[in-house]
Amino acid sequence: MSKKRMMGLFGDFEEAHDAIADIRRNEVPGLTVDDVTMTSPIEHPEVEEVLGDRPVHIQKFTLAGAIFGVVFGFIFLAAAQASFLVQPQGGKPIIALPSNIVLIYEMLIFFAVWMTFFAFIFLSGLLKKRSALYSEKVSLDQVAIIVEIDDSISESVKGLFQKHKVLEIREEAIR
Amino acid sequence: MSLDNILNHWSDYRKGAEEGGHHEYEHRWAMAINLDLCTGCNACSTACYAENNLAVVGKEKFESGQAMHWMRIERYWDQQELEHPEQGASFLPMMCQQCGAATCEPVCPVAATYHTPDGLNAQVYNRCIGSRYCSNNCPFRVRYFNFYSYYESSWPEPMEQQLNPDITVRDKGVMEKCTFCVQRIRTVKDKAFMEDRSVKDGEVVTACAQACPTSAIVFGDTMDENSMVSKLWKKHQVERGIYQKTKYAKKDTDLRGYRIFEELNIDPSVMYLERVREDI
Amino acid sequence: MTMVTEKDINEQIAWAKINTDVLKSMENPRPAYWITLAVCLAMVACAVLAEYIQYTVGMGTAALNNPHMWDMYIAAFVFWIGMSHSGTLLSAILHLIHADWRKPIYRFAEAMTTFSLLTAGIFPMIHLGRVWNLYWVLPYVSDRGIWPNFRSPLVWDAFAITTYLTASMLFLFVGMIPDLAICRDNTTGWRKKLYGILALGWVGSDRQWRHFRKIYLLMACFLIPLAVSVHSIVSADFAMSIMPGWHITSFPPYFVAGALYSGCAAIITLFILLRYFFRFEDYMTLPIMEKTAKLTFAIAMVWTYLNLIEFASVWYGHDVYNKELLIAKATGAYAWIFWTMLFCGSVLPFALAFRKLRRHMPTMFVVSLFLNLGMFFERWMIVAPTLSMSHEPHQWDIMYGSIVEWAIVFGSFGWFGMLFLIFVKVFPSVSMYEVKEMVFHRKRSAGEEDLARMTDHAKPATQTTGGGGGA
Repeated sequence: MSKKRMMGLFGDFEEAHDAIADIRRNEVPGLTVDDVTMTSPIEHPEVEEVLGDRPVHIQKFTLAGAIFGVVFGFIFLAAAQASFLVQPQGGKPIIALPSNIVLIYEMLIFFAVWMTFFAFIFLSGLLKKRSALYSEKVSLDQVAIIVEIDDSISESVKGLFQKHKVLEIREEAIR
Repeated sequence: MSLDNILNHWSDYRKGAEEGGHHEYEHRWAMAINLDLCTGCNACSTACYAENNLAVVGKEKFESGQAMHWMRIERYWDQQELEHPEQGASFLPMMCQQCGAATCEPVCPVAATYHTPDGLNAQVYNRCIGSRYCSNNCPFRVRYFNFYSYYESSWPEPMEQQLNPDITVRDKGVMEKCTFCVQRIRTVKDKAFMEDRSVKDGEVVTACAQACPTSAIVFGDTMDENSMVSKLWKKHQVERGIYQKTKYAKKDTDLRGYRIFEELNIDPSVMYLERVREDI
Repeated sequence: MTMVTEKDINEQIAWAKINTDVLKSMENPRPAYWITLAVCLAMVACAVLAEYIQYTVGMGTAALNNPHMWDMYIAAFVFWIGMSHSGTLLSAILHLIHADWRKPIYRFAEAMTTFSLLTAGIFPMIHLGRVWNLYWVLPYVSDRGIWPNFRSPLVWDAFAITTYLTASMLFLFVGMIPDLAICRDNTTGWRKKLYGILALGWVGSDRQWRHFRKIYLLMACFLIPLAVSVHSIVSADFAMSIMPGWHITSFPPYFVAGALYSGCAAIITLFILLRYFFRFEDYMTLPIMEKTAKLTFAIAMVWTYLNLIEFASVWYGHDVYNKELLIAKATGAYAWIFWTMLFCGSVLPFALAFRKLRRHMPTMFVVSLFLNLGMFFERWMIVAPTLSMSHEPHQWDIMYGSIVEWAIVFGSFGWFGMLFLIFVKVFPSVSMYEVKEMVFHRKRSAGEEDLARMTDHAKPATQTTGGGGGA
């Protein structure tokens, strides 16, 4: 029972969407939507309906970054101001809250943005070596569906793809 | 950088300038300048040049406003109705007012200017990076910037021999201003400390007060109730931390004391005694 | 009969054509490009020479004096920070309100933001008397336990501009990742290697797109309050002082409005240039130009309003310093700058209200340049008159800047031009994947409309009174 990856290139998003809908309805036994990935040149939020619930966790990191920015910002600034006592100024307070609020606001955004960025890089699966199944047509105008399947059902998968007017099919064996 | 520091000094922020600010003041240096006695002779300005190693910038730079006179005599002609209007010149010796709530202090990005326990506004030449925000925020415009390296040309040989060794010569890019002759204050305080006594009134004499031929400038410590300057302040009803109305609001026309730009609430340490005019 | 409105973009454009057109813009440049780049480099060289003179001789070469301690450098600084708000407006704000006409033009606007910030960042450095100690403004653990003065608006500037530059660059980069994948797939040689690294292995999988949508939205949500706060903090450099003409509470919104205005005018200028030189007529269409012009007009009116209420509140107040200053601004030595600013900023935008003029590229080009001139004069009018006529009458003075100052300000335009020229040849200045999205969605909704219209026609003729569907 060897596993392989199969990619079908479709010229039209609607056809690819319908193909995934078929998979969701279990028209190919042994294949579920969890094994399906769709690559496309533009975003298609509507594909979420057929691909199922795949949650995104970036916003939690953003919140963590923002909270860190506020807490670290305040502690850092207050500590620096409190230890630099040799220079009081013009009747202004030592730990000047109005100034600190401005700076903490900036630090909140600074850390939130960086955390979001790193969360995006790691959670979205970037920085991985591209598999051989990447087709340059995807960056042009074609939509690809990539499924991870057993050898036994590859013919039925091909049949499903051809039912939805697939333009090209490629395969890659998984070791 | 300790938690103790933060917690212990947190309450300090509530004390404003009137309550002694962040420190208990030992001295509170102040001046009283009698404008009636001022003849506009500029001796004070010259003495300041000599005492504080001020650079002579030359006629061209002076005219473009790049002069370095920490003490300047401002002339205003405000009595046009006189037969000879130039007789109505008013002279205003203007120098750093060492404000209690100085507007120049909080805006320096590198904290090169701060308030000393003596009540002086100190300028730290080494820390200044020359952003010049302090000068922009000074309503009196008494902060002077070293636009060039004046030491290269101001004191040709052998004139550098007359420089005061108690005070530095500033390089280009730093801000400077009147310090109430802080080097003289330090010398007197050190001497008093060695002799185990307190500073007496009249011991600290600033260069400008020393040179003034009419003794129009009085310098002293307002924490010392018996000093001449304290008595003058009290007599003319000028008080720190309180926004004083101008002389026109005072009932008694003998009360000539006022501080400049009091409505800005910056608590200057220099009190001026209004010139007595022919018609009030 | 339904009116045929001109569309923002032709829905029938083939996606392959979008790729080719934009990638073509990055090919080997023609002589005109090299000449422009050479001119920009010459301008930068002028600025470098002027700065060398200033560095070695002293700030006096900038014709500063007491009271004019700040001059053209700070005005130029505020001008460039202001211009940087264009990208944020177009990318972030219009994204949140789903205005998809921004899609063909926001990429170069975002690039403009980043480069404006890089240009603006030069000025706080060179206006310092002791530039070599610049790093003291940054909070680092020093062996003497000295910290910068966090109460100073200049330190707030340092924090805010660092944050804004970082966030802008990240936003530009992240938004470009799918495009960099396209570039990676269609180039060879050093370009392919460069895009291969920068695209971070983007393949366009649903997982990547899902996360991409989320980060784009989150960053847009952060970028908007950040942009507002950055220019408010820059305005705090003035508003937190006590000087007449500076200590005005409406400065933060005034500066932000001026910034959006300046940015929009710059977008129009670059729009026309890119459209002409790269033949982007299919993407940077006339309807999009019209929408940008209308947006600029709206912002111009907001700016005009804020000016008027500033004048009104000074006029009605009893603050003698402010009042005298306002009268001096209108009638004194700077009056020609004041009235040019008001003309360029409040009267000239009415050209944007006329459809014929909005669609005429040469007029729009000239108008946008004058709008930005008006904005530069506005910054000059903020900095110089207050310093000329502050509290102490003995120190009143007039200042026009010196050749050294003007050379550096002039050179900053060359620096910006140079950065932008390099950008348009290395990175796609039109967002390919977003244009494809725009075409996809418009085609789909046009198809739905057609379908609706067809089914309406198919309905039986028995209709009630009233309009009914179609004609």
